[in-house]
Amino acid sequence: MDAAQRTSSTRAGWAGAGPLVQGFCGLIGIAALLEAAPRVGLVSPLYFPPLSTLIAVLAAEIQHGLFWTALGFTLQSWALGLGISVLAGTAIGIAVGSSSIVLATTRSTIEFLRPIPSVALIPLVTLLFGTTLRSNLVLVVYAAFWQVLIQVLYGVQDVDPVARETARSYRFGRWAQIRYVTWPTTLPYLMTGVRLAAAVALILTITAELVIGTPGLGKEIFVAQTSGAYAVMYAYVIVTGIIGVAVNVLARALERLAMPWHPSLRADVPA
Amino acid sequence: MPRLSIHRLAIAAGLVTLAAASGERAYAADKITVGVIPITDVAPLYLGKEKGFFAKQDLDVEMQLAQGGAELIAPVVSGQREFGFSNLSSILIAQTRGLELVAVAPGASSTGEQGRDFGAIIAPGDSPVQNAKDLEGKTVAVNNLNNIGDSSVKASVRKAGGDGAKVKFVELAFPDMPAALANKRVEAAWIVEPFLTLSRSQGAKVVAWNLVDMAPNLMIAVYFTSKKYADEHADIVKRFKAAMTESLAYADTHTDEIRQIVPTYTRITKELIGKLTLPRWPTEYGRASAQITADLALQDGLVTKKPDLDALLK
Repeated sequence: MDAAQRTSSTRAGWAGAGPLVQGFCGLIGIAALLEAAPRVGLVSPLYFPPLSTLIAVLAAEIQHGLFWTALGFTLQSWALGLGISVLAGTAIGIAVGSSSIVLATTRSTIEFLRPIPSVALIPLVTLLFGTTLRSNLVLVVYAAFWQVLIQVLYGVQDVDPVARETARSYRFGRWAQIRYVTWPTTLPYLMTGVRLAAAVALILTITAELVIGTPGLGKEIFVAQTSGAYAVMYAYVIVTGIIGVAVNVLARALERLAMPWHPSLRADVPA
Repeated sequence: MPRLSIHRLAIAAGLVTLAAASGERAYAADKITVGVIPITDVAPLYLGKEKGFFAKQDLDVEMQLAQGGAELIAPVVSGQREFGFSNLSSILIAQTRGLELVAVAPGASSTGEQGRDFGAIIAPGDSPVQNAKDLEGKTVAVNNLNNIGDSSVKASVRKAGGDGAKVKFVELAFPDMPAALANKRVEAAWIVEPFLTLSRSQGAKVVAWNLVDMAPNLMIAVYFTSKKYADEHADIVKRFKAAMTESLAYADTHTDEIRQIVPTYTRITKELIGKLTLPRWPTEYGRASAQITADLALQDGLVTKKPDLDALLK
């Protein structure tokens, strides 16, 4: 009996519940803590209102066009930034990874540029682009690109050498080699990269809006903070959390769609 | 009767010309962007736009929000933005570092009244700190180190007979100060509206009115542009100054309308805005207070050389 079957049927009580139920119970626990802490006096309710107040404020907010405009700006920035990162990361990753010379030459440069936090670029970006979408995109792409690039580089290097040699024997051209040998190996790595990049892109979009003041959810958080409207501020913070969860669910769904053949997504075959 | 007909024709022609002259302009208004912080100080700009003072000067104004400091000055210097709103100390510091900036209009000023201003030094209600002299050796929170905050707090301490150098400053954003004060993480704070009212409603007490202590009718902020822009677009700058002056004059005398417009660009509720103390909006530069600010900046070490106020406040 493998692991998947063991957890759901034979263990009793809490451990026997499926992962979905366990996750849900965890969420309820956190919600209860957020509701109780201000009411009990652990944190001041003026500066950290209880969860019920935040949800009420949020329910009032979503009825205004301002909320949906801000949400639209954030999602637009995120999607565009992510798209550019994935395309650039994949193209450059496959190009660089396929040649061992180029890989060796650029390795140290990549290792140097990668850890630079995007937020350190904010003063430069404000100087060049002001509060436009371009400022957001520079920050988002700079952070998300590396996630995709590193994963694709690993993927390209993971190609089975026997498969590669076989393709060479059958005189596959460069493009055919990429399509039939490199791509299927790289795809799982790319999907991981996309999932990581999606999360990072969201973080950077909100951060850019918060610090620079570009229109979006981050800017609403900043305005609420400057106005002393703490409940509104936390309500928007909750929204960003919800978007984060949605982004993750979307990424997982994309994974299942793109690679139904991968062992990690097939219940019957042990990974 | 021919004479009457020509007379009527002349009148008609005259009216048509008059109508054409006062109707729609044939050219488009100049688009300009102004960098602002979402606070009550910039309300005259929003009110002036709503009242049409800027449209009257053929200016299409767009306000862009920023957090402050570098995010307000850098885009103006690089030409990304035409105008900005910033506190005077930051402008003086930028000028002494070689950035050529020119003030266009006064921004906001202290009320100049002890007991009623939009900023003050506050401490928890049960704190042993009674006046500014007691701040010696205590931790005081300001929103930016080496800026108007510590400069004005030191001025208050000096005025009360204490030594400003003995005060310990920490940097904290205004929204975080009420909570930090309530949790005793800092012993006092320089705080502005709306957090001043929020804190006082939670029991904090005012230790000193530092903006009033620093100089009479302290001009705390200005609208500015880069020298390069002012030289290249002197006409637009002149029109902006005219519209801004009209807006400031209107704002200072119509504070009820100011209280109505603030909730439209901030999250300050209508109930809260009624309780806040508003700054004053004089139409002339507070030259004397600006000189005091510049002198204190040099004395307190904010700047290393004397700022050139003549070049700044044209």
